[in-house]
Amino acid sequence: MRTWLRQIQDKGFTTASAGAVVLIAAALLVVLIPMFGRGITAVVFTETVEFRRLQKDLHGRGDNEHLARALADVTAAREPIYTMLREFSEGIDTEPLVKQARDVYQKYGEYLNYHNTPREQYSEYRKQAKDVRDGLVDALESNDRQAVLEGLDAVLKEKDNPAFADSPAMEYFAMAQRYKKIAETVDLSHRAEYLASLQEVTAAIRQLLGPLPGEPTPPLWMNQYGATRLDMALKARDALLYDEQWISDGPGKPMVKKVVARKEQFAGTPLEPLFDRVEADWDKLLQPRLRIYWQYFIDDWVNSHYFGGVGPEILGTLLLTLMSMCVAIPLGVISAAYLVEYAGDTVWIKIIRMCINTLAGVPSIVYGLFGLAFFVITIGAIGKPCILAASLTLSILALPVIIRASEEAIRAVPQTYREASLALGAGKFRTLLQVTLPAAGPGILTGIILSLSRAAGETAPILFTGVVAMGPIPSFGSPSQWLENPGSLFGWLFQPTRALSYGSYDIAVGDRISMLAPHQQFGMAMTLILLTVALNVAAILIRSRLSRKLRGC
Amino acid sequence: MTETSVQGEKRNRNAAAEFTRPLRLSASEDLAGYVMGHLGRAILFLITTTSVAAVFLIFYFVIRESLPFFTTGGGAAILARVREFFTDPGWYPSATEPRYGALALIVGSLYVTAGALVVAVPVGLLAGVFLSDIAPFNLRQICKPVIEILAAIPSVAYGFFAVMVLAPWLQTHLGFSSGTNALNASLILAVMALPTIISVSEDAMTAVGREIREASYGLGATRAETIINVVIPAGHSGILAAVILGMMRAIGETMVVWMASGNASRIPSPWWDLSQSIRTMTATIAGDMGETPKNSEHYFALFTVGLTLLLFTFSLNLLSEYLLGKARAGRGRR
Repeated sequence: MRTWLRQIQDKGFTTASAGAVVLIAAALLVVLIPMFGRGITAVVFTETVEFRRLQKDLHGRGDNEHLARALADVTAAREPIYTMLREFSEGIDTEPLVKQARDVYQKYGEYLNYHNTPREQYSEYRKQAKDVRDGLVDALESNDRQAVLEGLDAVLKEKDNPAFADSPAMEYFAMAQRYKKIAETVDLSHRAEYLASLQEVTAAIRQLLGPLPGEPTPPLWMNQYGATRLDMALKARDALLYDEQWISDGPGKPMVKKVVARKEQFAGTPLEPLFDRVEADWDKLLQPRLRIYWQYFIDDWVNSHYFGGVGPEILGTLLLTLMSMCVAIPLGVISAAYLVEYAGDTVWIKIIRMCINTLAGVPSIVYGLFGLAFFVITIGAIGKPCILAASLTLSILALPVIIRASEEAIRAVPQTYREASLALGAGKFRTLLQVTLPAAGPGILTGIILSLSRAAGETAPILFTGVVAMGPIPSFGSPSQWLENPGSLFGWLFQPTRALSYGSYDIAVGDRISMLAPHQQFGMAMTLILLTVALNVAAILIRSRLSRKLRGC
Repeated sequence: MTETSVQGEKRNRNAAAEFTRPLRLSASEDLAGYVMGHLGRAILFLITTTSVAAVFLIFYFVIRESLPFFTTGGGAAILARVREFFTDPGWYPSATEPRYGALALIVGSLYVTAGALVVAVPVGLLAGVFLSDIAPFNLRQICKPVIEILAAIPSVAYGFFAVMVLAPWLQTHLGFSSGTNALNASLILAVMALPTIISVSEDAMTAVGREIREASYGLGATRAETIINVVIPAGHSGILAAVILGMMRAIGETMVVWMASGNASRIPSPWWDLSQSIRTMTATIAGDMGETPKNSEHYFALFTVGLTLLLFTFSLNLLSEYLLGKARAGRGRR
């Protein structure tokens, strides 16, 4: 081959292999950046006054006086919007008015009964009231402006009828008066078109500002508050200001998205200024400001992760991993010490090594199956999925990782250390305990941290052995309970728990409500990654210090 | 040496402690030390055998729970069951006439694994070469943590990424009808298998002696020629082991394929169409076990799937160990 060709080949090869590393680093960034970038918005975001109200109601956080003042300001700013909406919707959506008219008729009958009206007069009055009601209802249900105004006038003529004086029926005339004003401004012939759009506007305002005044409190927390965050508020504002329609030009043609400003839709109606008002008063309506919601990491969720944080998930993950480490660390370190210090090259040792390698290669879901069949079903004392079963399963999974790392660390202790100790008259066991293991300490610690992070991130092994997506926080009991019954000190071991890893699965795939709150989904995954990556970075730092020390020797 | 002879040094704490008792142990102390030493050793040995016990328990329980799947029908039914399990592509456990054919699941597992390896092996080997032969020491110190963090991200987080970020991207930019499909799962599995492949292959190539490389350079070969013609052939068993370990990682992975593969149990056809949804063995166990009553036929069938998976990874593990042993022996010769 020619030299230049060989040189190009050489350069190309170098570039390709460097490119592979760059590709891997890029893959890492591609994974991490969206997860952290969107996850961090669960913790750092622009809150609105609704969020402060939520925090006050749920956790009693925040200053009472400030909040009361803010709420007063906000209520004042929102009032005109509510008024506009109410007035306009009375003209368009007359169903409540019709219902009201019927209610008034009933009340009037009760009123007559209450005043012991004579029988003939009673039916006479009732008939008059019925006529007025029917006239009013007809006017309310009509789409023709002329007919509406005439009908209303006819109703208003009855105002001075002595039969209605000082009775609930006077409300008819107030309604007629109000509706007349509306009918004069609103184009009633487009009522059907307005109605659909108006419902969307009302829904958007509910999303933005919470339930309208006078509405009953909704049962779900998520509906009791308006937009608690600026990003969700902006989404609601877009739904409020613009109408997205999918329109087809004709049969067979593809649907085209068309965005119409609602301001144009409602042009000329009393609702028109509402949209400008929302934009102009934006800050006054919601009082947005930056918030670092660090309590995200300790709060429990509300409404299946729509509000709140991942506190119980973090607690569950810590309980599971720490419990599993309690079992895996002694077993793993001792096994490693034996394998390095005592084991010869016998058949037994070969079998043990093979088993450790096999254990490391067992798929995590098979650990889950084993945990289910052994810890949950076979061991009667456990009997059901719980923290103990899950952490024992995890400890078997972590065992080979710890053994391998510790073995390497113990092997790295210079032989001279051991020889010095032996020469001083220490036995082999004492040498191991007082010289080799302390010297190997940082290396073993690195291995432990790495297996800790692996155990914290595993999902499949705990799937059937003790993790739930939504459940109570494990209860630890109280000191008085412990004194009474010492067994209750370990009661939490026999309860299932939530965990970050399974939570990340459930919040992405299983949980429908949290799909409305993507920041919560990414927040959970970010917390998990943060935990495991932080553990790994710690391990890397310990190891690099260690290697610097070893090189310094 | 008597106490009187060191009287003068009595004030010196270090020396005094040494000589307050005879240096020679009595017979009983000797015996006690011997017994303690051996007892301690025995206890350590017992603790070390936990791993062996764990492996045997895992095999015992998985086999115990999967045997009823074959044996419930009696003698003749066993063969029929085995045939159904391995040749029937229909996995319909909750149909009125349930079918437990795991062929589609096995094919699905192999399919995404192959897809992952197609990406991960070339990239991983090149990166391994870069780390062992090309990168200077300082650069290597930067690259290693990157790969370690890649390995540290939990599988469920990768699955989350696949569902929440990659799937919508595939749907909008590549026009797939569903973003959760074989391509998505393969890509993510490739990223997950990379760290294993890189570190094992790098070890294998670093272990190839310096002398061999120098001999090659001495003959006038370029670096690329040295790596391709000398280093890789010399470290081939370690590199093969790296590929097999990466394969094990991909085939045993649960959360990513459960979340990203779409979970439709059918054999992809045409075989090259990566945009189809598939279902793997691991995802089937994870997805079905939660809603399966204990000791039902479906439950036993799921354990049988688990057993298949276990035997699969076990044999791969044996193979990789054989290869690594060979690589080690080669190093020993040097």
